[in-house]
Amino acid sequence: MLGTPAALGGVEPPARVTSDSKEYCTELAVRLAALPGSREEPARSLAADGIHLCETGHTRTGVAKLRRAIRAARGGD
Amino acid sequence: MPGTLEALLRFLRSAGFRFAVRFALIFIGATAVFALVFWYATAGSLDRQTDAALRTDALSLVERWREAGSAAVAEAIGERLASDVEGNSIYLLINPEGRRLAGNLDRWPQGVPAGTDWAFDTVQRDGLTTEARLNVMELGNGYRLAVGRDVTEKQRLRDLLAEGIAWSAFAALIFAVTGAAVLRRALEQRLLPAAQTAEAIASGDLSHRVPLSPRNDEFDRLGQSMNAMLDRIDRLMEGIRGVSDSIAHDLRTPIARARAKLEEAVVGPDDPETLRAAMERGITDLDNITRVFEALLRIAEAEAGSRRAAFAPIDLAPVLADVAEFYGVVAESRGQSLETDLPAALETVGDRDLLAQAAGNLIDNALKFAPEGGRVRLTARALPRERIEIAVEDSGPGLAPEDRARAGTRFFRADSSRATPGSGLGLSLVQAVARLHGGDLVLEDAPEELGGTPGLRATIRIGPA
Repeated sequence: MLGTPAALGGVEPPARVTSDSKEYCTELAVRLAALPGSREEPARSLAADGIHLCETGHTRTGVAKLRRAIRAARGGD
Repeated sequence: MPGTLEALLRFLRSAGFRFAVRFALIFIGATAVFALVFWYATAGSLDRQTDAALRTDALSLVERWREAGSAAVAEAIGERLASDVEGNSIYLLINPEGRRLAGNLDRWPQGVPAGTDWAFDTVQRDGLTTEARLNVMELGNGYRLAVGRDVTEKQRLRDLLAEGIAWSAFAALIFAVTGAAVLRRALEQRLLPAAQTAEAIASGDLSHRVPLSPRNDEFDRLGQSMNAMLDRIDRLMEGIRGVSDSIAHDLRTPIARARAKLEEAVVGPDDPETLRAAMERGITDLDNITRVFEALLRIAEAEAGSRRAAFAPIDLAPVLADVAEFYGVVAESRGQSLETDLPAALETVGDRDLLAQAAGNLIDNALKFAPEGGRVRLTARALPRERIEIAVEDSGPGLAPEDRARAGTRFFRADSSRATPGSGLGLSLVQAVARLHGGDLVLEDAPEELGGTPGLRATIRIGPA
């Protein structure tokens, strides 16, 4: 259950961006795997780099790599 | 200390300081306008671009909502986030219960007041607080959508721009103050010669003049005007001195003569007839002195222009005819002839009495200098542009060219006319009257046909200049 502005008041910490997390890395990897061009280059190596970075703690960079992989798989990069 | 305060107040009140302040204000104003335009074109443009992109994105998702419902919007958000390589996008879709359906915010941003479309808010990212710009949309049935961007980078750019503008404003302020000081100093320097000259004149030295530079700028023109004014004052004062000297000199003789005659009567025989004759001669001498003063007053009055208010339309032809008739008798008694050539009418605007006296003075002068049996001619005619010419010619000895320029000066008498009775004020009055009527007195040789040696032609032209 998420709070509305009126209910939250001014004492709670600000909303958090969730797309810089390991969970989101996994979500992106699943989304990439469903794409037809995910096994082709450069999407495949970009995805591998991204997953590796996420696993080694560089989540933000890993997410960016995975996103580029998705773009490449879609043929937009 | 009071001296320092007084100097400071004088400085603040000075025109140079005021000009300098105006210059500084205009310079700072221009810099502020430049900074505003620069800000609008850079940071403002970035903000407008961000808002436009957010609005387009949000409207596209609203359209998707209308077409296929919340599941389609959630999928679209997932797609958008998955391909956001820059990683700046922020999305959140919540249902009426406040549960998150899609997006990358863990909850609804608290800094977005209810009922607003746009907001700046802070969000947490990797444990850091960052600035986000958000566009909020009510989708209907309690569903809400927030579309935003992480604007930290843009905020950093805005900070850099603001810092640059602040430094530029500081530099502009330094330039404005320096420029104002230079301007004030330059004004002071350029006005200094005029001020020094004015001080010297005020202390009594009228010989000082404003030194002029070869630049021929506004200050030089002011200096030229001041110098011309001082020259004029100098000439007028010289004239006043000359008139005072002349009054003292020319009136001393008749007064001394009257005194001598009265003294002679006192020490002479007690014969009542002799005493009576001496008194009558004294009265005649004093009347002559009074006439000189009256003439001087009339000249001063004409030169001051105070009688101009009494100007009225007049026909000069009968006025001149009356004057000619009066002097015709005088001419006849001396065996001279006074000829006239006057038009039937001569309309003008002026002072009737003064013009009659001026014409009378010219004729009187001509009769005095024309020999026995000589000729005097009075002519008048209308000139173009409503001007009128009155001329008196005689067959007398004329006036040397070098004396003509001084003939209008009070008490001037040519060497050749010392033996002729007169006060030396007649032509002065004629000249003053001519100038009062917008004209002047011109003296030249008379036409040969009059038989003068060479004779004098005195002309006054009056009327609008």
